[in-house]
Amino acid sequence: MTLLWAVLALALALAGQAVAGNWLPGALRYVDLLMLPVLWYGLARSQRSAMLVGCLAGALEDAWFRAGVFGLRGFDKTLLGWLVGGIGARLDLNVAWGRAAAGAALPVADRMLEFGLLRLLDLSPGSLEPVELLGRAASGGALALAAFSVVDRLGSRRPRPKGSGWSR
Amino acid sequence: MAEANPARINLFLLVVLLLGQLLVMAGSVRRDAGATLLETGVAKVGEPVVALTRGAGRGLDGLVGFFSELARARRENALLRVELERLRSEVNRYREQSAENERLRRLLGMREALAPRSVAASVIARSLTGSTRMIVLDQGRRAGVREDLPVVAWGGAVGRVVLAGEDYAKVRLLTDPNSGVSGIVQRTRAEGMVEGRAGDPLEMTYVPKYADVVAGDRVVTSGLDGVFPKGFGIGRVIAVEEPAGSTVKRILIEPEMPFEAVEEVLVLTERTGSALLEAGVPPRGGP
Repeated sequence: MTLLWAVLALALALAGQAVAGNWLPGALRYVDLLMLPVLWYGLARSQRSAMLVGCLAGALEDAWFRAGVFGLRGFDKTLLGWLVGGIGARLDLNVAWGRAAAGAALPVADRMLEFGLLRLLDLSPGSLEPVELLGRAASGGALALAAFSVVDRLGSRRPRPKGSGWSR
Repeated sequence: MAEANPARINLFLLVVLLLGQLLVMAGSVRRDAGATLLETGVAKVGEPVVALTRGAGRGLDGLVGFFSELARARRENALLRVELERLRSEVNRYREQSAENERLRRLLGMREALAPRSVAASVIARSLTGSTRMIVLDQGRRAGVREDLPVVAWGGAVGRVVLAGEDYAKVRLLTDPNSGVSGIVQRTRAEGMVEGRAGDPLEMTYVPKYADVVAGDRVVTSGLDGVFPKGFGIGRVIAVEEPAGSTVKRILIEPEMPFEAVEEVLVLTERTGSALLEAGVPPRGGP
């Protein structure tokens, strides 16, 4: 069942990203909807599920929104999934401020990691502008709050002890 | 028997996943042409979702557009009638000129300029993020799209196909930081390499300091890169700098193609060399 939710979350994020890309192309510079499932699984579920979802989200992003080396975004998001899952297991970030903070930090870390990896691979990473990082942080935090509250309201966040089945 | 430490298992899984991604990246870098099986598979899995959003988006666009179009259609109808008459007379004039042109070409022994074969494609996804400027098209190898083919729209250069799947193709836009196209200033024939700089204007490099380039000059493809035929618009010069100690100019170009608004493009499937389209006539006494 967790796998089904993960697939659904990724499909929704992919659809959102595709719609944003077509309607507000400039906004994609600041918005990474595929990061939301990683964040959700990292904070509300487990480190392991965050890593796996990160791996899948990265692969989808590489296939549909990147023209460079396939696997790079998967690498990036897997690592971030591990990081957010690890921190989420030690600190209770699944509260409003924690969600906003993690939602703001993750896209910034994602962009910086991507920048570093592209530099390592001797590819042009573009410029790392403070405005872009600030925009990503702001949109990431706001989107995390909005998405988490929608999920909460829909009641799909069933009370489930951490560490059961696939979500261990 | 001691229970396995979840943290260690997660660390092990992380290492396995990262190594797997590194292998995938190595395979992606080594590929000669086309997408890897894994990339094609992932793209296929996501394809229904992207197609659905495209369909839904078009439906909504159509509904909103219907009412505004209805009012505009009446006004445009009258204007179009006038325009039609004007175009009819122009077509007749062009027919005459075309026949005359052909006679002159034959007379001069020039090669007949044929329009390149092309595949029309729609943009189904796009990414204009910090390090990437790319679009995804709904046509791929099945339609004859291959890597390194030029993509154009509205008479301007859009980008180059960097990956062709069976039914999709990724196009790296001219504004991508890893993009480069050989350009020529239409007025003075000064040549250089036009490079993308993500959100910033394009930069034309390797133009010597003595070359005559001023703001407002139009830059088109030169056909020397073996990808784009000659004469497709790139943009207009907005600034020319002459850095101290350098032998070349630094030329900034505003792209003439609204990349974020491109919805339909043509992939030129036939390599046509450089003498396909006229980029303009060099001025007398020019460099």
